[in-house]
Amino acid sequence: MHNSLISRPPINENTKTNSIKIVLLCLAAILSGCSQSKTTLPLDKEQSQINNVKSGATVQTDLPPHFPIGNPVSKEVIAGWDIDVRPDGLGLPEGSGSVEDGEELYEEKCSMCHGSFGEGEDQWPKLAGGMGSLTAERPEKTVASFWPYASTLWDYINRTMPFPAPQSLTPNEVYAVTAYVLNLNEIVDDEFVLSKENFATIQMPNKNGFYVDDRPDTNNQRCMQNCKDPNRIKVILGPKYAIAQMTTKNTQGSAETAQDSENKLAIDTYESSCKVCHATGIGNAPKLANQEDWAKRLKQGKDAIYANTLNGLNEMPAKGGRSDLSEDRLKAVVDYMLSTL
Amino acid sequence: MDGFSQKEEQKLLKTLHQEGNKLDLIERRQFLKNSLVMLGGGALAVKTGSVIANSNLPPSIPGWTRQLGEGVLTNPYGLPSEYEKNTIRRTVDWLTPDRISSVSMTPLHKLKGIITPNGLAFERYHGGVPNINPDEHRLIIHGLVKRPLIFTMEELKRFPSISEIKFLECPANGGMEWKVPQMEGLQFTHGMLSCCEWTGVRLSTLLDAVGVKPEGKWILAEGADGSAMTRSIPIEKALDDAIIVYAQNGEALRKEQGYPIRLMNPGWEGNTCIKWLRRLEIGDKPWYQREETSKYTDLMPDGRARKFSFVQECNSVITSPSPEVPLKDKGWYEIEGIAWSGKGKIKGVDISLDGGVSWRPAPLKGLILSKCLTRFSYMANWQGEPLLLQSRAWDETGYVQPTFKQLRAERGGNSVYHRNAIHTWKVHNNGSVQNAQLSD
Repeated sequence: MHNSLISRPPINENTKTNSIKIVLLCLAAILSGCSQSKTTLPLDKEQSQINNVKSGATVQTDLPPHFPIGNPVSKEVIAGWDIDVRPDGLGLPEGSGSVEDGEELYEEKCSMCHGSFGEGEDQWPKLAGGMGSLTAERPEKTVASFWPYASTLWDYINRTMPFPAPQSLTPNEVYAVTAYVLNLNEIVDDEFVLSKENFATIQMPNKNGFYVDDRPDTNNQRCMQNCKDPNRIKVILGPKYAIAQMTTKNTQGSAETAQDSENKLAIDTYESSCKVCHATGIGNAPKLANQEDWAKRLKQGKDAIYANTLNGLNEMPAKGGRSDLSEDRLKAVVDYMLSTL
Repeated sequence: MDGFSQKEEQKLLKTLHQEGNKLDLIERRQFLKNSLVMLGGGALAVKTGSVIANSNLPPSIPGWTRQLGEGVLTNPYGLPSEYEKNTIRRTVDWLTPDRISSVSMTPLHKLKGIITPNGLAFERYHGGVPNINPDEHRLIIHGLVKRPLIFTMEELKRFPSISEIKFLECPANGGMEWKVPQMEGLQFTHGMLSCCEWTGVRLSTLLDAVGVKPEGKWILAEGADGSAMTRSIPIEKALDDAIIVYAQNGEALRKEQGYPIRLMNPGWEGNTCIKWLRRLEIGDKPWYQREETSKYTDLMPDGRARKFSFVQECNSVITSPSPEVPLKDKGWYEIEGIAWSGKGKIKGVDISLDGGVSWRPAPLKGLILSKCLTRFSYMANWQGEPLLLQSRAWDETGYVQPTFKQLRAERGGNSVYHRNAIHTWKVHNNGSVQNAQLSD
């Protein structure tokens, strides 16, 4: 649209009316990709697209039904990103995978976090068990006890598992791991082979366990006086605030040495970037504070461990995937990890 | 000055300035004495006179008044004063097994007004923060549309832009407090909350561009992060007030907040506002993704769960005093706090000093905008008496923030999300403030 406008000669500033000035400002905002300033924005009276504007109007009336911005996108381009799967199976690719194949993949890529039986290591999600626990004091929301659709499982494994290597599984592998997790949940038997064709036959136990949000569910009133009996109020206190002490120490600045803050940075880096594998042993990573895991590496010497960290080793990418970090910081992280042995 | 060229003198002054900054007050006195010796004493000593003292308080002349400060571009991107280094996001490490799929909280006790600075907006990632080159990022809109389109970031900025101040809140805000008050401060009880001016293009404008077919009722929004985070959004919300955001408080969206683009669904669960947005697919049904089935559904006492519980209902909290901001001496204090509602404007806030036996209206102040933090303020003359401080907000729909007892009666203790109960701070007679819950 504005290409044709740009070719017009600029109008004389003095001939413009106030109302046109307002519209020009609006139009300038629309044409933000255009580098013309408002004094040179090329419009003339005959070709003006703002015929219907009355004096003082602030609503632009010459806009198209929709802005023809953006480019058509082909089915092939969309297909690369269109990975979602719906409960009715829409979006599933061709393929299949057996419980048996899934077991092997699961042991290798999933069990270090989710546990060999889907019981969940540490705080990582529990995948199986918990049937009938949804009304218990501590409900266990697992695939069998809670998830309404098997498609969600396929979709989620495909889009973001295994946690340190998202979208690294082939469709057949996703079918297999999905089949195995369903098997851990006693939804399919040991011989089952999951495929695009039989996917819709999977029935999840808690399919009918959800209903659409029906809030508001409370109806409090603005009572102002004598709203309750003060003698019936029992106060349950939370923990005392302890961060205040840290605050005082840090603002003085001198209490924390440079070495302290270096160490803290190293621990923070470990916590945010390394722990995911080195706490769990994902990808055979040597675990923090585990002598046995580190014995072989320690024999090679600290410099070799530094070099492996910087260059990558086995499943670990160079710099543990944190290419933004300095060599010194990574070495400090290694020092910290070795200090736990 | 004897023995120094002008250039050398400037260099020396700069060094002295930098070194002096590292010292505490007591060291500073000796340092300044030594500096004077180095600079040749005499003239400067006359200028400085007799006011070198180990205090920056009046009547002494502070050290920073007696020297030059840093020049322009010392920090090309400005940072807070070093004395504000505890104004930071914090996390609760036991909440999540690692920090990649985790959450950190806004230091609400440090903030004024209604805008959350970009570096302090709470973080919530499901697969960490991707480092996206905007030139290599695209938004695809497809599905039940007449014209499937792909947009560069520059093309999105050619559409008419809007700027709106809206709060953003994780539905799990306060979720650790369903059973007992286990958090020690405001940052942890309410800090999964921020409020920014968001700039971008209305989603409805983009939907006009692609031409949604009549059978298009839901939109799947998908991120480009390692979790490829997804949520199904009803078309009504998309056509109402949803925004595709590329700027936050005047600058480009922070990468923690979805750089280069995110979805913003004003008043709705933060997780529906998909960050690092790469794709919108229009369909006739919801997708029942992991984050709308396994997570972000509200388990009720009968064992069933609410789904698509999008709205963040009316809520409020007193930010001062709070565990982080205790009272000190007796006297007048401003009891101040924030209120917000995902359904519209805040109409009013009442506060109670006695655990909800009696209430009085607290005036609202500043801007009162829809789906936006709103400040309230009440002046109180504290004489050392213990208090049970509470705030109770209501919004333009007439909904009044519930008591915790009312919420528990409806939802039990395992619904995790949407805990918008009236909050209690216990003020002790020494002025310290402690998180509390009341039986009634």
